[in-house]
Amino acid sequence: MHRVRNLSWATGTKPPDIKNRPLPFMTEKNLTRRHFLNLVGAAGGTSAIYNTSLALGLMQETGPVATLDLKQAGRQRKKVAVLGAGIAGLTVAYELERAGYDVTIIEASHRIGGRNMTVRHGDIIDEMGHKQVCNFDDDPELYFNCGPARIPGHHRRVMHYCKELNVPLQIKANFSRPAYRHDPDKFDGKPVTVARYVADSRGFLSELLYKAVDQNAFDEPLSPEDVDRIRAYVRGFGALNRDGRYTGSERGGRKSGGFITPAKTFEPLDIESLLDSQFWTGFGAFTSENPDWGEPLMEIKGGNDGIIHAFAREISKPIILNAPVQAIDLKDDSVNVVYNHKGKREQISADFVFNSIPTHFMPGIPNNLPEDYQAGLAALTPGNFFKIGLQMRERFWEKEGIYGGITSTNQPINQIWYPSHGIHSQKGVVLSAYAFFAQCEFFEKMTPAERISFAAECGEKVHPGYTDYIEAGVSVPWGRMNHMMGCGTSWSSGLPWEDGNSQLREQYYSLLQQPAGGRHFMIGDQISYHSSWQEGAFGSAEFALLELDRRVRAESGEARKG
Amino acid sequence: MRRLMSGLPVALLWLSLNAFAADELPVAAEEFVYCTVCHGVQLMGNQIIKAPRLSGMEPWYVEKQLHNFKKEIRGLHGDDAFGYEMQPMAAALTDEQIGEVAVFVNATRSRPATPTIGGDAEKGKALYTTCAACHGSNGEGNEALGSPDLRIANDWYLVTQLNNFRSGSRGSHPADINGMQMRASVQLLNDDEAIRDVVSYITTLRNQ
Repeated sequence: MHRVRNLSWATGTKPPDIKNRPLPFMTEKNLTRRHFLNLVGAAGGTSAIYNTSLALGLMQETGPVATLDLKQAGRQRKKVAVLGAGIAGLTVAYELERAGYDVTIIEASHRIGGRNMTVRHGDIIDEMGHKQVCNFDDDPELYFNCGPARIPGHHRRVMHYCKELNVPLQIKANFSRPAYRHDPDKFDGKPVTVARYVADSRGFLSELLYKAVDQNAFDEPLSPEDVDRIRAYVRGFGALNRDGRYTGSERGGRKSGGFITPAKTFEPLDIESLLDSQFWTGFGAFTSENPDWGEPLMEIKGGNDGIIHAFAREISKPIILNAPVQAIDLKDDSVNVVYNHKGKREQISADFVFNSIPTHFMPGIPNNLPEDYQAGLAALTPGNFFKIGLQMRERFWEKEGIYGGITSTNQPINQIWYPSHGIHSQKGVVLSAYAFFAQCEFFEKMTPAERISFAAECGEKVHPGYTDYIEAGVSVPWGRMNHMMGCGTSWSSGLPWEDGNSQLREQYYSLLQQPAGGRHFMIGDQISYHSSWQEGAFGSAEFALLELDRRVRAESGEARKG
Repeated sequence: MRRLMSGLPVALLWLSLNAFAADELPVAAEEFVYCTVCHGVQLMGNQIIKAPRLSGMEPWYVEKQLHNFKKEIRGLHGDDAFGYEMQPMAAALTDEQIGEVAVFVNATRSRPATPTIGGDAEKGKALYTTCAACHGSNGEGNEALGSPDLRIANDWYLVTQLNNFRSGSRGSHPADINGMQMRASVQLLNDDEAIRDVVSYITTLRNQ
């Protein structure tokens, strides 16, 4: 048996005294806390407990997904209408059908999946005013993920459903050292490898710190031992030499040699230019530091719509496509949903409605939802994303030593993504532009053909000869896609997933999480803290299902456990 | 052509949400569902995405504006972001479809738009006398003069368009004869306040 190493010599801190520490559940304080939670729960339902638990730090949101354990509908077979066949809607339908409910999915567009959309040969991209047909070769490996395209393992709900539905995953490279960082105004406009940017910027920074560390630059003078330890760390972080100088490093990639001839390293980049290029902005040096973009990431084999098709296989009742909702009438004992289908007006009366219609469409759909609820829906604005995917006749990037990962550039295309799958095959589909929010308008104003020419011009500056490799291409402006007109929901003016606790959140989030009249649930990534991520959509579905279950059980005098 | 919005029956129709299931309301043909995505069910308008209410709009005006968009007379001014969104939609329609859309738009029905802007309707009334020359004393419009019915639109949309005319992002194209007339006329409204006032007066005309 191995002995547990005592690391206190390395960290300078004493190991925690585990033996004498009272365990959380043993303290009086904790009992009071639980008591408090029960009180909150009695007053506000599960969502209040859930939110309060999160706030108190008692619940780990990234742990294994809770078993839903929904109460079976039994002989009553309550009716459910799900509006929208995206991730959230499909999840609700799948779970409730298994629990014995009679579930009908109504989808406005011609396809299921919502923003989980993978296009292949012949697929329609239903952009308003510019309908496109995907002109990639008829080859299952040549596809483009227009929506979600990378999955971190801590998105436990995505992982849970992929596992449960046997959806195969593979590793997707997101960060790549041999890929490029490109600034048209720096380093003669030539791309420089990410490796050099990272190694050199860390080297410079470390050298600065190495020098500063014993010059009383800190509030508290550091002990000689502290100085030594910090210097040791900084030397390792920045690949400094013994004197604490940065003179370049193999971490920046080798200029030549290293295998049967001696390695030559690059000269460090010019620090001024490095700083001027603001490499830390956008998809810059710190991409992998973002927990949602941290390596390793995954993708679904054969295209990220694999999860959509898996749900569709499991759901037995046919999904009604091309059926835009016309009205939602919330009554005391049911909800009536009017929709158009095949040129006729249809109606469905349900016990419960799960609505994933983008909030920004709700003011254009007559409804009698409570006034504050409607006001909340009308207050949220759509986010926006834009992508271009180009089919390349040859995997030219592999000749440059790039296998997957992302190049970033200061041009409007922002990024170039190299496919992680199909290495060494003949062709590949490259993401050739990825714009966010206000940047999207620039591309939306162009025709699809103009967008591709523009992306080609930008790509040419990173990879000379780029244009000649382009065989086919699609562009997907989510702000202009039929039945979408946006991507994600803005609860503030910031990035949708970074809005913290904006005023809108405080005012409307809990309200919109709760079912209006106990029957109408808003769902989708829009009702989460992870807008424009599948995990947000799954989370909202899970939240709504647990809330429904609590109410259903309460009706029959039961309490939901957990 | 059916007469547009004769006040009373429309109001009755809207007393209950069941009205949405009423057979009298037109169902958008497959190729015109696009219109309802932004402009809302029965083209009731959607302020959050800046799509104006069009319910019951006069077919001649629908056709004219769609042709203007299609011929790039309207919507391609760099400052008119929402016109830019509309332009490719119209450009994708054939002339025949434009005629069909106009019939559909004219047949749609929805509640009158709710007021959203402040403004002094009394002051606006005085300002409106100039407008009345073309748009009629009740805002009912005048096809012969190319002046649309003003009672249909949302107040926020009228404000946007008056500002567009004022800044020249609408009504600057030499082929947009009526737009140019409107651009000249709007110069009589000196500031934002005047625009709000006159629009809030126009909203009072809906109920007459």
